[in-house]
Amino acid sequence: MKKILALALAAAMSLSLVACGGGNTSTPAASSKPGASGSGADVSTPPPADSGEFKVGAIYINSQNDTAGYTFQHHNGITTAMKDLGMDPATDLLIVDTVAENYDDVCKAIDTLANQGANIIFGISFGYIDAMNDKAAEYPDICFSHGTGYMANDTNFNNYFGRIYQARYLAGIAAGLKSAELGNNSIGYVAAYNTEYAETCSGINAFALGAQSANPDATVYVKKINTWGDENLERQAAQALVDTYNCGVISQHCDSAQPQLVAQENNVFGCGYNSDMTEQAPNAHLTAAIWHWNVYYQTAIQAAMDCAGDASKFVEKMGGNAYYAGLAEGFVDASPVNEAVAAPDTAAVMDAVRRLIKSGDWDVFTGVKLSYTVVDGKVEIIKTDADLADNQGNVIVAAGGPSVDDGVIKGSMNYNVAGVQEG
Amino acid sequence: MKKRQPLFHVVKREQAGPSRQILAYVAAVVLALSVGAVLLTVQGVEPVTFYRQLLTMGIPGSRYPWRSVENFIKLFVPLLITSMALALAFKMRFWNIGGEGQFIMGAFWAGFAAMKLGEILPQPLMVLVMTLCGALGGGLYGVFVAALKVRFDTNETLLTLMLNYVALYFLQYFAETKTEWNFFLDANSARPKFAKFPENSQMLTIPIGPFQLNLSLLAAAVICVLLYIYLNYTKRGYEIAVVGDSPNTARYAGMRVGKIVIRTIFLSAALIGLAGAFQVSSAGVLSTSITNDVGWTGVVVAWLAKLNTVGIVAASLLITVLQFGCQAASTAYPSIDANFANLLQGVILFIVLAADFFTRFKLVPRSRKEAVK
Repeated sequence: MKKILALALAAAMSLSLVACGGGNTSTPAASSKPGASGSGADVSTPPPADSGEFKVGAIYINSQNDTAGYTFQHHNGITTAMKDLGMDPATDLLIVDTVAENYDDVCKAIDTLANQGANIIFGISFGYIDAMNDKAAEYPDICFSHGTGYMANDTNFNNYFGRIYQARYLAGIAAGLKSAELGNNSIGYVAAYNTEYAETCSGINAFALGAQSANPDATVYVKKINTWGDENLERQAAQALVDTYNCGVISQHCDSAQPQLVAQENNVFGCGYNSDMTEQAPNAHLTAAIWHWNVYYQTAIQAAMDCAGDASKFVEKMGGNAYYAGLAEGFVDASPVNEAVAAPDTAAVMDAVRRLIKSGDWDVFTGVKLSYTVVDGKVEIIKTDADLADNQGNVIVAAGGPSVDDGVIKGSMNYNVAGVQEG
Repeated sequence: MKKRQPLFHVVKREQAGPSRQILAYVAAVVLALSVGAVLLTVQGVEPVTFYRQLLTMGIPGSRYPWRSVENFIKLFVPLLITSMALALAFKMRFWNIGGEGQFIMGAFWAGFAAMKLGEILPQPLMVLVMTLCGALGGGLYGVFVAALKVRFDTNETLLTLMLNYVALYFLQYFAETKTEWNFFLDANSARPKFAKFPENSQMLTIPIGPFQLNLSLLAAAVICVLLYIYLNYTKRGYEIAVVGDSPNTARYAGMRVGKIVIRTIFLSAALIGLAGAFQVSSAGVLSTSITNDVGWTGVVVAWLAKLNTVGIVAASLLITVLQFGCQAASTAYPSIDANFANLLQGVILFIVLAADFFTRFKLVPRSRKEAVK
């Protein structure tokens, strides 16, 4: 009985502590701005956000505390951008994380962020698209920005993605040079999906074209795992590429560094994705196609702040409702070449092509093929008119023709170029 | 040779009075919150502020408070109905852990109706049709197991459990298969994604100022009252209790046990399917994560409430506040992610369940017990 009494006393004490504490502690950052909205206020006329308290909202597909992978890259991009803009992510960033691609859950997450005063809301995953679209109409005073999507409006809602295919072309050069050096024309590619999505097959195609520019005999063998990330499947696919096709270089479009680790274990080489994977596989990794998400996030947050409370100007400030930047803007790039394992002159050739693409004189999916000669470290790019054909023999772009439409690369590309084989 | 004895014996307590039980629950919640406070402090978060935000669900001072209430109701109603329905089966000692599957089937068939008839029927009729389709879809999925149990004495725990995954993969197949005939998907999207239902299949709401009261809340309240009456004041409700206590007694009393089992499980699964229909109708679109785990959480709620109707209302309220409040509170803290919020909920539930155990049993050290002998 004594014990029960003691417990009850303890309970009463803790309760009173909570009760007292509740009254006089300072409110946290999120709700410190009560706002003028009574319950009767109309949705369309919320209190104007004053610029001193600009808040960024984000909805993530995985945990904000991840240390690698897709969500990590975006979170890192947002926090870097905020710091560069003089904002403090600890107080000015509102996050709802681990939100599944479920319309209702995304709507709830947006409501939560809107409620706590977010001025711009980023959604990073494709499946958030409908919810972002509908909520952008419902909250005209908040800027909405959706990664990898295709929906937008003319006022407060845009989408963003990048020309990652340009970075993959550069990585392809490193892979092609390495395969020529090894005398092994088989290059492997662990892919989440292939022709199902323009995002994946445009990456495979660009990588293959890059590899062929350095080694015309190269063949890219694709193994897809039908999911965006699964460490076991990524590992198995990479091993199968080595075992089945004797691939000497393994590239990837999937979340983890497993394909690079497998390359290292098999004494072959590889090109990573998303982050510089030289750290994980120093004896195998050549270079990786990487995103600098902070480039976009900084542009978008700045644009939203420039709206000065009128979110309907967001699209105008962004210069359009579909942001699609590439190497030229520094949004994508190839990570520094791992000189310890890369073929000679890799960095020099990649640099030359990087400059060429940045200049805007040439792009990957055109009727002009590149090849290179290197004399004493000086790179000369040779342009040759040639058909861009798919692996069924259909001509996509005739010799000398201009680049295929952005919309194709972003949305409707559904073939593999010649020299790609799915196995 | 002396027989080896365990260090402790679990001994049943004499029936504890309600005041003592309530005291134990309060103590448990306080203890759980204290453990949570330690975890929060370790993460560099001030616990008192966090808890206040959690319990108020971030509503005071927010820009659109009515939205929070609407979203709260959307989370609360499916959990409440599912827990009630599971308790109905548990009362009969039929271990229906197939709530997830029955919920998905309810949602799927309601979605089927919405996609096929949404353009044709007027809204109230459409919602009614969806509700019926959901209830029937969920009910048949559950009654299948009950029939096997009655006919072949199969294990319902295993079957309902496995059928959860069958239902999930069934739905996933429709979510990911982009073909001509798959009318569930959005034709305008290159990537497969579920299309939104036509406007008419949206759950009815009653506007109160800017606030839209979801009609499913009223339906859930009516269901609770009806179930309470059904279980406590009707012959059929009594039969459920008798079959639960002893099927043989029921047989001696002339009850047709098979029929009672099938009827009750159909009702239980149909209610869960109905919850699924409410959920998709409120959301306006299908999703592979449509259940929000209510099939699992409902089991916890039902037992936490000891299958008592009033208790279930209280427990599902508590859990929804925890879930919804955790999200609202953790938004502003960089160190608190959804995983930590789940952990906190888990700690609280675990300690409350442990308290429940200790109100009914006590641990007696070996030596003392021997001394008593």
